Amino acid sequence: MRVIKLKNKRELIDNLKEFLKSAFDFKENSRQRIRKEAYDEMDNFMLLCFGDLLGIPVPTAYYTLELLPYLAEDLEGWERRIMARESIYGDRWGDFCC
Amino acid sequence: MNKLVFFGGKGGVGKTTASSAYAYHCTEKGEKTLLVSTDPAHSLCDIFERKIGSRITEIKENLYAFEIDPEEESKKYINNIKKNMKDVVSPIIVKEIERQLDAAAVSPGSDESAVFDKLMEIIIDYQKDYDRIIIDTAPTGHTLRLLSLPELLGGWMDKLIEKRKKAMELYEMATREDKKMESIIKKDPVLSKLNERKRKMEKAREILTDGDLVSFVFVLNPEKLPIDETKKAVTTLGKYNIHIKELIINRILPIKTEGKFWENRKKLEDKYMKEIEDVFSNKRLIKIPLIDEDVKMENLKHISKYFEGMN
Repeated sequence: MRVIKLKNKRELIDNLKEFLKSAFDFKENSRQRIRKEAYDEMDNFMLLCFGDLLGIPVPTAYYTLELLPYLAEDLEGWERRIMARESIYGDRWGDFCC
Repeated sequence: MNKLVFFGGKGGVGKTTASSAYAYHCTEKGEKTLLVSTDPAHSLCDIFERKIGSRITEIKENLYAFEIDPEEESKKYINNIKKNMKDVVSPIIVKEIERQLDAAAVSPGSDESAVFDKLMEIIIDYQKDYDRIIIDTAPTGHTLRLLSLPELLGGWMDKLIEKRKKAMELYEMATREDKKMESIIKKDPVLSKLNERKRKMEKAREILTDGDLVSFVFVLNPEKLPIDETKKAVTTLGKYNIHIKELIINRILPIKTEGKFWENRKKLEDKYMKEIEDVFSNKRLIKIPLIDEDVKMENLKHISKYFEGMN
């Protein structure tokens, strides 16, 4: 057996650490899920405010107009995302596999 | 009757006549009276034969009138948003938002919200300045919807606030910058706008359901459809805690009628009068006869006599 150089050994351990961290780090994983959940929740909020733009009548449409300046930056992205939601199954499946 | 008096009823039964005559009656007693029309198809201007529009117009001593213009009010609201927007939004998307705002201003539903907002603003702002505020409303369907708005929209506002809070809390969890996020939630302009709107809705509901402040009077004719509609409206308003104590029966035929046609009409009318008295036995009935002239300023004095003895 050849002797592994000290420097390489260090590197190997570091890589192993990184591997284990991403494979078993629930903290990072769960944070990512929460972030996804937060985005979904924000999208739903936008839907309740501006469903009108997609043709869904919203009784408070007149009053949510005054929110438009504060939410305008997200509006375009939201419209794109919500239009791309083709199937709720696909959407939910995406939550777990990726 | 109370300080705020709403006149409602089916289309064409004489709401504007009754409310104008009652307003006349109040001014004769020396009360400073404001008569407000919420019907987009205004007819106050036709009775008083002069331009009124969306500003307080003096008709005669102590009598003032105002016709709410939904288009003008929603335009004002939209322009206000546009003005505030310039401080918040980058100039690049200003154009895009302006386009959306203009489209929304003409969408159905905007009008009724605009009328509702203006009416509440008038009630809140001018309550102190007038002894009496009389509201000539649009036909029943419109008015029921108008009065149910705070109930309906209040619930929706609660949902919006809840959702926004939840989303922001999730962000907070995801970012770990706890302290910073907490202050962001507190300072969130969206939440503060929503809360402000909710407060206004609650205030409106408080006013409209205050039985010591508001009277709701229904006008009807002694005919089948107006009676049926009044029955339904009384039930519906009861659900929103608005109780009707007075009814005005308008356009009653004279007791003596000549000719077979009018005799038959009178017989029919008697039947409906009896029905009204039976069904609404717990309400005060004010009876106004049919007159042989157009309703104008001059004969309002005559019609207002039928309100005699009413406060």
